[in-house]
Amino acid sequence: MITDPLSYAASALSGPLLLVLAAFGCLLLPLFIKRLRGTQGLIALGAALVALTFLRRAPSAEFSLFGGAMLLSPLSAYLWAFALLVLIVVAVLSIARLAAPAESQGEYYFLLFMATIGLMVLVTAGDLFTVFIALELLSLPVYALAGIRRSKPGLEAAYKYFMLGAFGSGMTVMGIAILNALYPSLAFAALKAAPAQPLALAGFLLVISGFAFKTALVPFHMWVPDAYEGAPTQVSAFMAAAVKAGGVIVLWRLFSLFDGGPVREIFWWLAVLTAVSANLMALAQKGLKRLLAYSSVAHAGYMAVAFFGGRQGFEAVLYYLPVYAMATIGAFSVALLLEKEERGPQIEDLAGLAKSRPWLAGAMSAFMFSLAGVPPLAGFFAKFYAFAGAVNGGYTGLVVIAIIMSAVSIYYYLKVTVVMYMKPAANGHTPEAPGMIEAVIFLMAAGVILAGVFSRPLLTLAAEASRWF
Amino acid sequence: MELLTNPLSLLIILPAAAGLALLAVPPGKTGALKGLALGATLLTFLLSLKLYAGFDPAQAAMQFQLDKPWLPAYGINYFLGIDGISLLMIMLTALLMPVSVLASFSYIKESQRAYYACLLFLEASMIGVFAALDLFAFYMFWEGMLIPMYFLIGIWGGPRRIYAALKFFIYTMAGSVLMLVAILWVVSAHHAATGAWTFSLPALYGGALTAQAQFWLFAAFALAFAVKVPLFPFHTWLPDAHVEAPTAGSVLLAGVLLKMGVYGYLRLAVPLFPDAARVFAPWLAGLGVVGIIYGSLVAWSQRDMKKMVAYSSVAHLGVVVLGIMAFEPSAAAGAVLQMANHGLSTGALFLLVGVLYERRHTRLIEDYGGLAKVMPGFSAVFMIVTLSSIGLPGLNGFVGEVLVLFGSFKVYPWLAGAAVAGVILSAVYMLGMYQQVVFGPLRHTENKVLPDLSAREWLYLAPLLVFIVLIGVWPGPFLRRTLPAVNSYIALSQQKTAPLPAEINIVAGGEEKE
Repeated sequence: MITDPLSYAASALSGPLLLVLAAFGCLLLPLFIKRLRGTQGLIALGAALVALTFLRRAPSAEFSLFGGAMLLSPLSAYLWAFALLVLIVVAVLSIARLAAPAESQGEYYFLLFMATIGLMVLVTAGDLFTVFIALELLSLPVYALAGIRRSKPGLEAAYKYFMLGAFGSGMTVMGIAILNALYPSLAFAALKAAPAQPLALAGFLLVISGFAFKTALVPFHMWVPDAYEGAPTQVSAFMAAAVKAGGVIVLWRLFSLFDGGPVREIFWWLAVLTAVSANLMALAQKGLKRLLAYSSVAHAGYMAVAFFGGRQGFEAVLYYLPVYAMATIGAFSVALLLEKEERGPQIEDLAGLAKSRPWLAGAMSAFMFSLAGVPPLAGFFAKFYAFAGAVNGGYTGLVVIAIIMSAVSIYYYLKVTVVMYMKPAANGHTPEAPGMIEAVIFLMAAGVILAGVFSRPLLTLAAEASRWF
Repeated sequence: MELLTNPLSLLIILPAAAGLALLAVPPGKTGALKGLALGATLLTFLLSLKLYAGFDPAQAAMQFQLDKPWLPAYGINYFLGIDGISLLMIMLTALLMPVSVLASFSYIKESQRAYYACLLFLEASMIGVFAALDLFAFYMFWEGMLIPMYFLIGIWGGPRRIYAALKFFIYTMAGSVLMLVAILWVVSAHHAATGAWTFSLPALYGGALTAQAQFWLFAAFALAFAVKVPLFPFHTWLPDAHVEAPTAGSVLLAGVLLKMGVYGYLRLAVPLFPDAARVFAPWLAGLGVVGIIYGSLVAWSQRDMKKMVAYSSVAHLGVVVLGIMAFEPSAAAGAVLQMANHGLSTGALFLLVGVLYERRHTRLIEDYGGLAKVMPGFSAVFMIVTLSSIGLPGLNGFVGEVLVLFGSFKVYPWLAGAAVAGVILSAVYMLGMYQQVVFGPLRHTENKVLPDLSAREWLYLAPLLVFIVLIGVWPGPFLRRTLPAVNSYIALSQQKTAPLPAEINIVAGGEEKE
């Protein structure tokens, strides 16, 4: 069933277009209509929900738009749905507890929407120019979001993130310039067929390291702990779930341009370095948000391992992204619920949570066990699929390293459950009336508990999407 | 609805569903909680009796099979089925569960809802391990069991519970992750050879893997199972976990979880990689014997009863490993029976230590003495269980140990000879402990008022005593049901699946694949 490309494209593109309108609406309307002040969150949430309804089941075909700049396919539909769902959850969290000062609410949602649009364009981009523009559209708002509170930790986070991010962007654009000089077209399809040249390799490596920054692969991860810790927790959740997803997808596109050779070797080393050092560094963390930051770096490493599984690996990555996002958003929501200062709670602050709020502690344990990859939670299935592809591709050694490091990671995830269940409370948690944050937490917990054992629906979607690569 | 009509699947789903139902009970209603937990575990036990009744002892093939596609893209099925070995283990699990629940009624006072839910989830995954015929399902149950056990030790355990819980979890998990890679490798190799994705064990048996590959794969599986058994150098988590766990946790750890390791050798490691298994077997049997002697000597030197019982487990499991690694029918049958025996006698020993601990809050041998005067019923039960544990003729321990020793003597005369020394040692330390605790004068005044076994305690010790005596005098029905399974295990272990040349060169690395 091939629908008319134009009509499909029109309906698919209405989603991001609506987001653009809503972004400006959030920014401008309250300036003119006083009554709308404070309601930006609801406008944003409504718009995102409507945008989600535009995502119909995509026909099994690829539509190339704007001269190949954007490729619409079931893959893009899958990733757009992912981006919008992350946006909706983050919006709910931001309504439940303001991430930005009251006078900056308009800017906050404007930036959040712009970043999401950037992500949506990034994952559908068909050539490197579009990739770069989308990358900037994604990155610049997130720099600002990190520091939107204009407080010291926030500004430090934004500053570090911006400096290193700008460095990464600079490398990317340098690499693209080299490739542009060498090859007639920068479309991925053309690059795949292009003859190899030594200088082109340098270009590719520059682009790859730029995206390794975004995805936070070691040694390009230095900004992650500070940025995740200092940024408003809602923004940290968005960075871990959405920004990383964009980086992973582009890295996969770049990775799959090569059948072998030095680029694959470099990815091998990136994956190993990331899995090993992120997990080791996470062992020493005391802050919950910092722990989650290092955990996000480690998970980027596991996804990089999945790259070596070919199409099966890509399918695994597509399954991995939402599963990881659920666990990490859930854990950040717990941090948000318990945070008394901007840097978020220390792990020790969770002491006695099992006594005062047993269900919350249960949900948090589900996130921790899922991130650690313990069956029967979804995180185990995600790792299983990721590693299955790589073993099948003949990279058993890589998987052995990654899986041993994943066993190391158990220690720091367990540490959180130890504190919650086995340490007496130092300061009593005040039981609050359940609110929207709890709703998000329990929804995510249900997700990580069910998406594993019943992974067929999500896996089927991921498999279908992975075919349109 | 085959998931619910198949008795095996129901045995897994019932406790899991009961565990979920428990979580819905309002926290204050402890009576309802206990009743529900006990009812669910009793119902599971009755179901397992139905399994026993419907089991055809003559058949070697897997019975009660259920094969449902689960994740078809990867060839993963929800594939269950049992032979005599699994039957025995499932029945042991189902028997020990209501006992453990009953034994916890007065001991556990905090967060009872979560406690009984953990026990039930644990039961579901333990039965799952013994029923799974799909490698993925096996691995899931195998690892899934860690979470409830971790909480059981960590929340309701003794003073060093956090250390013990972390050590238990990390040790077991670290041991098992390489097994996951090995599973993936086997499945991938099977796909390369046949073009079909499958995790089904019967389909993977006899796959033509080179001797070199088998060597590494067997090593990965053997490591996971050696940690669980535990074999000698990998046993250090066991004393900590057993001692710190609450009584029910120790009973299940010793009674069932350790058996999973042995079961793993029987069901997975040896039949999947027979060529490598034959290379490794003398070494593993040797480690088993080292465990027998080392475990006995360390147990001998313990002053804490629970620690002594824990180390005696290392010794008993050493006997079992010696039996299964001899690849000799009577030794293997004896080892399988001994798995059940050890579950019964060591489970009962932990329960008895728990009985004392609840009364006096100490487990040191020197704090007791002369209990025969104040607790005659307890002393009698303790006597029977101790004698069963050291293998007195007429009780269950004797049958298993004798079969193992006689059978393995034909294959490894020296090892079997050394194992006999260990068995004698066990009599020395167990009887020594019994004598110091039960006989002699009542040295401590606190002990003069200790009440004898209560009705509830009799109730949960009685079924264990019944089986201890029953297997001792009439092991036939149990052995008959395991024999076909044991014979097919021996047959699988003697297969030559590797293409020639079948020599193994130990070379590090293995990035390339055949």
